[in-house]
Amino acid sequence: MPYVPNTDRDREEMLREIGVGSVEELFAAVPKGLRESVELDVPGPLSEAELVRHMKRLASMNRTTDDVVSFLGGGVYDHTVPAVVRYVMGMPQFYTAYTPYQAEASQGTLQSIYEFQSLICRLTGLGVANASMYDGASAAAEACLMALAITRRNKILVAGTAGPSLRAVVATYLEASDIEIVELPETCGVTDVSAVDAHLEGAAVLLVQHPNFFGLLEPVDELSVKCADAGVLLVASVDPLSLAVLKPPSDYGAAIAVGEGQSLGSPVGYGGPLLGFMAADKKYLRRMPGRIIGATTDTMGRRGFVMTLQTREQHIRRAKATSNICTNEGLVALGAAVHLSLLGKNGFRELALQVTSKAHYAALALSAVAGVDLRFEGPFFREFVIDLSVPARRVKEELGRVGIWPGISCGCYYDGMENSLLVSVTERHTREDIDSLASGLEAVISPGGSS
Amino acid sequence: MSDPRKNGQTVEPTVFELSHPGRSGYRLPALDVPPADLAEVLGASNLRSTPPELPELSEPEVVRHFTRLAEMNFHVDRAMYPLGSCTMKYNPRINEEMAGLPGFTGVHPETTAAECQGAISLIYNLGRMLAEISGMDHVSIQPPAGASGELAGMLMVRAYQADQGNPRSKVIVPDTAHGTNPASLTLAGYEAVEIPSGPDGRIDVQVLAAAVDEETAAFMITNPNTLGVFESRIADIAEIVHGVGGLLYLDGANLNASLGVVRPGDAGFDVMHFNLHKTFATPHGGGGPGSGPVGVKSLLADYLPCPVARRDERKALGFEYDFDYDRPKSIGKVHAVYGNFLVAVKAYAYILTLGPQGLRRVAENAVLNANYLQKKLEPFFELPFPGLCQHEFVLSASRQKEQGVRALDVAKRLLDYGLHSPTVYFPLVVKEALMIEPTETESRASLDRFVDVMKAIAEESASSPELVTGAPTGTPVSRLDESLAAKELDVAWGKT
Repeated sequence: MPYVPNTDRDREEMLREIGVGSVEELFAAVPKGLRESVELDVPGPLSEAELVRHMKRLASMNRTTDDVVSFLGGGVYDHTVPAVVRYVMGMPQFYTAYTPYQAEASQGTLQSIYEFQSLICRLTGLGVANASMYDGASAAAEACLMALAITRRNKILVAGTAGPSLRAVVATYLEASDIEIVELPETCGVTDVSAVDAHLEGAAVLLVQHPNFFGLLEPVDELSVKCADAGVLLVASVDPLSLAVLKPPSDYGAAIAVGEGQSLGSPVGYGGPLLGFMAADKKYLRRMPGRIIGATTDTMGRRGFVMTLQTREQHIRRAKATSNICTNEGLVALGAAVHLSLLGKNGFRELALQVTSKAHYAALALSAVAGVDLRFEGPFFREFVIDLSVPARRVKEELGRVGIWPGISCGCYYDGMENSLLVSVTERHTREDIDSLASGLEAVISPGGSS
Repeated sequence: MSDPRKNGQTVEPTVFELSHPGRSGYRLPALDVPPADLAEVLGASNLRSTPPELPELSEPEVVRHFTRLAEMNFHVDRAMYPLGSCTMKYNPRINEEMAGLPGFTGVHPETTAAECQGAISLIYNLGRMLAEISGMDHVSIQPPAGASGELAGMLMVRAYQADQGNPRSKVIVPDTAHGTNPASLTLAGYEAVEIPSGPDGRIDVQVLAAAVDEETAAFMITNPNTLGVFESRIADIAEIVHGVGGLLYLDGANLNASLGVVRPGDAGFDVMHFNLHKTFATPHGGGGPGSGPVGVKSLLADYLPCPVARRDERKALGFEYDFDYDRPKSIGKVHAVYGNFLVAVKAYAYILTLGPQGLRRVAENAVLNANYLQKKLEPFFELPFPGLCQHEFVLSASRQKEQGVRALDVAKRLLDYGLHSPTVYFPLVVKEALMIEPTETESRASLDRFVDVMKAIAEESASSPELVTGAPTGTPVSRLDESLAAKELDVAWGKT
């Protein structure tokens, strides 16, 4: 047992010190009937060499974004993760530490998360941010709970163009309440502004994803005006990379901005860990869920950092806490802080410009193929939907055989979109990759349409 | 601008203070397509007028900044980290390496099942192993943290009770419960009913029997509880709760004491969550990411979070593992995807490394170490609940308080000796609580060192209490002013 230092002799001596005759006696409080029956049927023990062989075999049974040309996105994006991000996240001083309960011995964690909060504030334009949430979906759900508590209303409006998993998690968080969830209809791939009025009365929040699941920019200015007039809080679920070029949520009156931060230095990792973030107007700080790091001073007048406003949290307020969250995604938030610091003001903007340029190059290249059309006309950031003259599933299968994954079948999530693909592009795609997708589509779809 | 937090002495400047216009720490590939005209493709009204004010640093400056921050952290690789109920055990290096295999990190969640059999099989088989270890019938690894597992579990309780005709309105918790318990059950639409513990720190079955009724949806407990004692009358407890049609929920935070010794599923529990970042040695990451799988008995299987990993040995679809999305009674999703997969990889590797005997050895040594510490520390600190403990125990600094020294001061003084403090002021039922969990990965020498230091602090509290109340002095910063932080909030650089 490599991880347990006690030898048999240690155990004997320690038992003697305790004053019991055997380890079994230490478990005397456990009813005997429960203790005697246990004989676990789990595999192992494996040596390190055996473990590595097994794990590598499992890993080899997965095709990764390095093995194929993949245009999968939909909320989890395959960006290059800089070596420095992995390096810092791999420092045991960070990853083997606990939640910074003893601030004086946890300044590394505390300051880096304060910096993360500050960076999120700079991206979103809002005054305060918390120390992270599980993912963008739960952050959106928590934002709705927060808005419900602030407004004391009992209805929420969720844009139907927000990601399906985000909407699913929001529904789960509200399942036990009497809250009415209204899904706002779309037109041309974005929220139908004219349909909003009918639902505004009595609503606590309008939750919109911008850019939305289809990659399209939402009419946030118009939604914002409607919300303001009706006293509805606007919650924007934003792609942090888009904020390098798009106007911040503060500019269109969002009370709360949330989002998925996976693209800030995390691998795709089969979808986890992800990184939820939340920023809000400063006046809502005391309503926020989760940990918040604040600056203070020590007895010598030096700057230091602590967890602050803890009376909002479950370990103090228990049933009356603003949220049940305890463990968050601290290390991933650290990675995001490193990533943003490394790319910096110019690098981050350049990354967004590259992603936008490649996505638009791809949209042009693909829509030039006979039998392929852009489904929506509105502006998009990093991904877009194409309509095919044949079922998307068939195209995926055939292109998969030549090592191209053309995107997500929208039909899995939206009725009537069986012929549509959501194509996502990052800076990792070369022009050649995109051209190969175009020629691949051409080969599969034409001539004649259905082979 | 006299705020010392902005202009005073600093141990390490913020990344914003280190910024220097024009620097950059990363090079992107040259753009090989025509650059987009942002105003044209995104619409001028959608653009921001100025780029976000991110810092500008070169790569070595970024590495140095975060390295200096790292050096200011206490961490479990350095020394004992005896936070009670947090299970700060050693995080095996090989597990980190395995979770970093490109065959795991590079799998996109939209990959078709046929193309990622390794990932789904790992999720499925980790679920099977956790079910076997706990005596539950089914486990979902979707909840990304313990509190998320609690929410999932409580929503399943609610769905089950609703199907019996009434979702019911109350969930009972003992006064020793973790704060997440009442917070989670409230989120699941229940009212928390708190019952006092008995004089031995255990659940008073008479009190429980009087508290339950037809509106009791569940009883939510931690076992061993947060005082470190096993609920010996668990059979009676289960009978009382089940007797009124309620379900028994286990907060698995303290499962480390039970591995291979007792299975919650055999003891009457219907639903529970695990903390892979406690019991199964995955690192805490300074606050996360964790993983909080939820396990259930068959009666709750229909309600598990969607999707559910499944296995078809006959490979009717051409492959063995996939996800079942056709779960009409499911509570839905608690995570955007499948949960914290890369954390699950580490826990899976840990279980395989230990095997059945190793798992039992973990529990035995965790309990042995705790009892040894308790015995050795008893002369110096009050032990409110004497007798053998399980994996942790709670001392009180009440004697020291008479000398002007609080539990918080003891905690801070420990930092000066290069050790981390226990959990303080929890559970709430013990005044000046010091909750100590050494875990099985501490050696006897390490435990003895902790005893020596605690003894020294007890002596200092009597002879020169100012040494303790003035602590810490050996840390990068001295005692921090928490009330200033809360009163004059500064939670983001450059914004006040």
